[in-house]
Amino acid sequence: MGDRREALAKMFTAKGGRVNTNRGQAYYDSLMDMMNRRLLELEAMPSASRTSIKSVLEAEGLNRRDFMKWASAATAMLMLPAQFTPLVAKAAEVMNRVPIIWLELQDCAGNSEAILRSDAPTIDELILEVVSLEFNETLMAAAGHQAEEHLEEAMKTFNGKYLCVVEGSIPVGTGKEWCTIGARAETFEDHLRHVASGAAALVAVGTCATFGGVPAAAPNPTGAVGVQDVIKNKPVINIPACPANPANITGTILHFVLTGQVPELDHLGRPKFAFGYRIHDNCERRAHFDAGEFVEEWGDEGAKNNFCLYKMGCKGPMTFNNCSIVRYNEAVNWPIGAGHGCIGCSEPQFWDKYAYERPMADARIKAPTGGVEKTVDEFGLGLLTAAGIGIGIHAAISMAAGKKEGDA
Amino acid sequence: MAYKRVERMTAFMRINHWVVAICMVAAVVTGLYIGHPYYQSLIADPAVDKYVMAWNRWIHFIAAIIFDVSSIVVAYLYFFSRFEKPYKKLLPTPKNIMEFFLVFFNLITFNRTKGFDSSHGDSFNAVFFFVFHLLLAWMLFSGLQLYVHGLAHGQSSIGTWWPAMLHLATDWTVVVCGGTYMDVRIWHHMSMYFIIVWVMIHVYYQIWRTIFWQEGDIGIVIGGSKFVKEN
Ligand code: HEM
Ligand code: SF4
Ligand code: SF4
Repeated sequence: MGDRREALAKMFTAKGGRVNTNRGQAYYDSLMDMMNRRLLELEAMPSASRTSIKSVLEAEGLNRRDFMKWASAATAMLMLPAQFTPLVAKAAEVMNRVPIIWLELQDCAGNSEAILRSDAPTIDELILEVVSLEFNETLMAAAGHQAEEHLEEAMKTFNGKYLCVVEGSIPVGTGKEWCTIGARAETFEDHLRHVASGAAALVAVGTCATFGGVPAAAPNPTGAVGVQDVIKNKPVINIPACPANPANITGTILHFVLTGQVPELDHLGRPKFAFGYRIHDNCERRAHFDAGEFVEEWGDEGAKNNFCLYKMGCKGPMTFNNCSIVRYNEAVNWPIGAGHGCIGCSEPQFWDKYAYERPMADARIKAPTGGVEKTVDEFGLGLLTAAGIGIGIHAAISMAAGKKEGDA
Repeated sequence: MAYKRVERMTAFMRINHWVVAICMVAAVVTGLYIGHPYYQSLIADPAVDKYVMAWNRWIHFIAAIIFDVSSIVVAYLYFFSRFEKPYKKLLPTPKNIMEFFLVFFNLITFNRTKGFDSSHGDSFNAVFFFVFHLLLAWMLFSGLQLYVHGLAHGQSSIGTWWPAMLHLATDWTVVVCGGTYMDVRIWHHMSMYFIIVWVMIHVYYQIWRTIFWQEGDIGIVIGGSKFVKEN
């Protein structure tokens, strides 16, 4: 109940997905001044990581022009006017001054994997490679006591300055003791609280870290929740999706580098620049939706003609994310482009409520009482039948035993 | 036995009734299509020529808008009608509560007891219709929440105030339904069945009253009046 009240209060204070992109010259001038000052400050700081964006780009055979093209796209994505492009480029260069501690909790490491494993990494992914990852359970060579020491040292050195990136949900239910970390067997919850205590802000990456994701799916055996449910006294930026789009992670970190602040968030704590779009409104199959042309089964004539995937369970109409615009892998493609409906991976409770291959109207849903699973129509027809039987009985008794006014 | 004609619904109220009834059917037929498109568009035509889903959604919204206007008018009439002011029958005064139960007993005793005056609208009827208006209001709020999802950019042809107002007026439905947009959709769809059940009972009760009270109640919604016995 308390949670619901809190969510309600949040909704009333959020201003929808809208970002004002026309704030007048004076606003942008002062913003630019502020960013310039901050970047100079960061530049003067020693770079914590040994790799630079320049060397990484060169190793991948990318030149300055590719990099500037990326910078202007990133500027547009952050909804800044074009004259900010050099600043965004600069921010990418000094990004390795912002220390990051990356925690891996209850998850499949899919977000790290998505960033690290691509065979032709995008500039977004390369930038994530050069950020100063002070600690990352998946990547680092150290283990056991050594790793713990390393973490403590990083937390002390960068106290109050580091970004804590979290991947994976936090079990807080009866199953929480199944998930411990390190030589002292800290639970994930304690581990997160400890690391969060010295962070400037937290970035929850992927749907598990934001809303609990797959581990939180019914019956949620470990009582999995997202970072925002555990950490209440620090800014938490949510970057859901499964996996989170590297462009959105980079965009958020860039924003933090540029301003030292959290970007404008929607009512679910997601950056508006990334989650202010509805999949359905930017989908290339939308004309087929409006026309009523749907894929009826996998591989049918409709599928061959790229018809709308609504009847195959596409949840684009209820999902907010920018993958229909920025897409994945250097904008090569995205799930709907590849022929599968959206499963709403950036929405809360997506595994239970969105991720099925049929429209909501045909999905078996748990009754509010937690009992049998029925489709809404099965439930509704049951209701109509019950009402029909009730009326029938009343009518029959009325006929047999009722008293008409006319009868004496 | 002498009968007296009593006026029960003005012409305007009757028109409103039938407009709502037609909208209801239109909303159900198109709503079910939106939820699960149950007929196929001809594949041979190019997409720009047909717009089957778009028309269904359009009719759904138009039915919804007419509903909107009608419920605002009905809400107004609750208080300011120069005819019968329904809110007077809704207030839980001892007299109204008494009347509510008398009419209810009449129904469940199959008209063997009838201890109230059936010439004017009664409290049972007022409560029954109030339930309908609540259901309608709920459809409006949940439907407008689904609608505002399409205005994520915060703009509309009539200005930014429209989506902003819709968010303010309907965002609570997400929290009430269970926290996700999908929950609103589930509840919007499920509530349709509550409304259909209401309509079934409503139609049955009107026919039942006509047969057992013998006062021509069914004529109210057509000619505006019914007949009551004089003494
Ligand atoms: C008694 C009246 C109504 C009935 C019976 C009704 C029924 C339905 C049904 C069955 C659906 C399909 C849900 C699903 O399975 O996905 C639906 C969708 C919808 N309804 Fe209603 N509805 C009513 C009133 C309204 C009102 C007043 C609005 C307000 C604008 C509205 C707006 C919508 C919207 C926006 C959708 C989703 C359409 C889409 O995403 O394309 N409805 N309705
Ligand atoms: S495929 Fe999905 S997102 Fe695209 S138009 Fe169809 S329902 Fe909408
Ligand atoms: S299309 Fe939908 S399910 Fe797929 S990545 Fe985008 S938001 Fe997630």
